[in-house]
Amino acid sequence: MKRNLVTTIVAAALIVIFAMLLFSFQVRQSEVAVVTTFGKPVGNITEPNLYFKWPWPIQKIYKFDNRVQNFEDRFSENQTRDQITILTSVYIGWRISDGQRFLQVFKNGSVPAAQQMLEVMLRSAKNAVIASNELSGFVNSDPQQLKFEEIENKIKMAVQTQLSTNNVGINIEFLGFKKIGLPESVTQTVFDRMKSERQSIIVANQSLGDSEAMKIKSTAERQAAETISKASAEAIQIRAAGEAEAAKTFAIFQQNPELANFLLRIDAWKQSLNQHSTLIFDERYPPFDLFKYLPTNSMTK
Amino acid sequence: MNEHDHHDHEHPHLPSQSNATAGVPETQDAGTQALAEALRSSFFIVKIVMALMVVAFFSSGFFTVGPQEKAVILRFGKPVGEGEKILLNAGLHWSFPYPVDEVVKIPITEQQTLQSTVGWYFTTPEQELSGEEIPAGQSLDPARDGFAITADRNIIHTKATLHYHIEDPIRYVFGFLSASNTIQNALNESVLYTAAHFKVDDALYADQAGFQDAVRIRVGNLTDAEKLGIVIDNCNVQNIPPRQLKDVFAQVIESRENRTKTMTEARSAADKILRNADAQSKSIENLAESARTNYVSLVNADAKRFSELLPQYRTNSALVAQQMLMPALGNVMTNVQDKIFLPQRADGKPRELRLMLNREPPQPKNAASQ
Repeated sequence: MKRNLVTTIVAAALIVIFAMLLFSFQVRQSEVAVVTTFGKPVGNITEPNLYFKWPWPIQKIYKFDNRVQNFEDRFSENQTRDQITILTSVYIGWRISDGQRFLQVFKNGSVPAAQQMLEVMLRSAKNAVIASNELSGFVNSDPQQLKFEEIENKIKMAVQTQLSTNNVGINIEFLGFKKIGLPESVTQTVFDRMKSERQSIIVANQSLGDSEAMKIKSTAERQAAETISKASAEAIQIRAAGEAEAAKTFAIFQQNPELANFLLRIDAWKQSLNQHSTLIFDERYPPFDLFKYLPTNSMTK
Repeated sequence: MNEHDHHDHEHPHLPSQSNATAGVPETQDAGTQALAEALRSSFFIVKIVMALMVVAFFSSGFFTVGPQEKAVILRFGKPVGEGEKILLNAGLHWSFPYPVDEVVKIPITEQQTLQSTVGWYFTTPEQELSGEEIPAGQSLDPARDGFAITADRNIIHTKATLHYHIEDPIRYVFGFLSASNTIQNALNESVLYTAAHFKVDDALYADQAGFQDAVRIRVGNLTDAEKLGIVIDNCNVQNIPPRQLKDVFAQVIESRENRTKTMTEARSAADKILRNADAQSKSIENLAESARTNYVSLVNADAKRFSELLPQYRTNSALVAQQMLMPALGNVMTNVQDKIFLPQRADGKPRELRLMLNREPPQPKNAASQ
């Protein structure tokens, strides 16, 4: 009997495992599952768990990765509105939002087929949006005129609109430029322009440096002149103050103007008769009247 | 089948067991008995193997999580646990074996690094390592060479290196098929987007730090909006002018340096001029000040002399005048160079005297003759 019990347990376990394989399936986190009954889809399962199903051939399970997938289109040429050719590559973050529709639209839910469709839609969206913008919308130092994000959003909207009108079960999460370039021949003309711009900057630096240096120096010179003239004015004031101070002592001289006058004259006399002066005198005025008493001189005619 | 194969090989190795179980009375012949014994022992082996398999099955549920990672257990496809508890830390863990549970390991504490792929000219990794300059052609081939277009339509090469770590591993692993590719695309977009805002001189020289910050902010915004569950730690950006124009860009830097140098020189010259002017004005004021002091003290001295003389003068003015005059005259006579005495004519008539003015000063003549 003991042997029979063990056998029964083992057999039961095997039957359970086999039944599980036949009658159940798992939906993993990040997956979306579609159940088809006799080939007809009966709904999406997005919640991860263990689920019951009828075994093949009654029901069949299709599972899709519903995580965000990357798609990048080929680096391709487009004309802007101002007739400039640019090359762009755009990346798209997309995911399968409706597994049932996805399965119906793309054979066996083929991701490469979905990418092909995305590429076609993206190409037409890009053509339309880039052709309606000027290059100044792509690159501009004025944030008001730069439409980089706006262009990205327009392409995204255009692709999204096509996807929802066709109802293919795909949703676009985000879209952006991966690469922007110019045709090879254009790069050379850009280089030529850049070179001449650089050269004009060099010339400008030279002349600007000289003129600014001159400006600095002349400003300094003007300031220096101002300082000196201010100082000179100050000096005149100082002297005037000195004279005013001296004038206070004039009251003393006022006691006897005759003596004051006499003293001044003596000083003036001393100062004016210096080395380069010639003095001519005769014996009529003191103290030279002393010459009168010299006998030799009295002979003079 | 399998049991028969076992029988042939195992029978000789288990004689004691065969003997122990052989105690049951049997009526079959020796051949049948041997077969029954063989089957019994084989079943025993099978049981042991099955028991081992069960043990192996459950022990296969043990797994270790390394220090640089976290793990998530998916039970029937659904993460086990709530919120923070979903993530298993480093150590030994156990889960039900497949197909019940699935262990997903996620690198987390380590910093991840990514580089932009669209802004640099074509190089091979070997060339990059050796630092070898690849000779530049006349133009850039857009299929091979990457570059960015600046706001003023210049071409620059730019390379951004992004360091980030995963903050929300659930989002990072279960939200994206290839999160690192998505981040790289966001980084590429950010480089182009930032270049489109910056003028070439700002991007290369004047505001390189600003450029770098702008790239970092843009990548942060994009990855936040895309809910990648990462945190940007750092972003380094290297911008260079095209190799084709390396020389002329270097000349611009040189001219800019020269300009700065000229200005610095001018400023120091200006400083000198101003300092001189200050010194000069100080000396003018000082001179005036001393002249003033001199003048005042002179006048005061005069006044003092006057006050001293006044009493004597009042007593005998003529005498004082004589006393003053005589020394002064002596002084004058000493100083005066030419003194001509003109005696009075006997008849009292004035003499006629002719003087030649503006004579040549005698000194140079003497100097010449010496």
